[in-house]
Amino acid sequence: MTTLSRKCVPFTPFEGELSRATVAIVTAAGVHLRDQEQFNIADEMGDLTFRLIPPDVDSSDLMVTHHHYDHSDADEDINVVFPIDALRDLRAEGFVKEIASKHVGYMGYTMQLKAMYEGTAPQIANEIDRGGRADAVILTGG
Amino acid sequence: MRGIPTVLITVSPEVSAQMRPPRALYPKGFKVGNSTGRPGMRELQRQVLRDALLLLTENTRPGAVTTREYPEYGEQYDPPKVRK
Repeated sequence: MTTLSRKCVPFTPFEGELSRATVAIVTAAGVHLRDQEQFNIADEMGDLTFRLIPPDVDSSDLMVTHHHYDHSDADEDINVVFPIDALRDLRAEGFVKEIASKHVGYMGYTMQLKAMYEGTAPQIANEIDRGGRADAVILTGG
Repeated sequence: MRGIPTVLITVSPEVSAQMRPPRALYPKGFKVGNSTGRPGMRELQRQVLRDALLLLTENTRPGAVTTREYPEYGEQYDPPKVRK
């Protein structure tokens, strides 16, 4: 039998219209800028840090550091895990209004679940909320 | 702190369901590493993104994963299973 999380579902209603919404992307797929520090894949405990990605990033300047999934397709086209160009297309067609000023990449592998839940996750939420002013967030994994 | 509406695109629906995500889309048959499709399939990537965002406006059941099919993806893959 599958074990379900006992935590409350953090459901926040979406109010308004997508065509007026600012959208951010948060990915656990290990995405970061090529000139940012790579995630630490040598530590068996994982890496609790995250990287901020600007909205005007050239998708060819992004890369993946993650050793728990095959990211060869993401190496070819980062949009398969971090759909920033696709999101820009949706903005151009008016499906969404704006792209948030901050996006986040982290490596979704850690043995330090409590630190991830109580430390990293609120820090990311804070960046997205106060820093990025997003109305909604797309989450992706590997 | 106010909450932020989120929607997850998952290719590991059984694993993700354990965490009871507020909203989640499973593009059926997509392999791990292909959350929105294959490289260069921009229209498919856009469609998966549109469908995920539309879940924000629909009466989904919090904690459940919504499955959608995308035949244009091509070869299908079995998702990772939860270790029991």
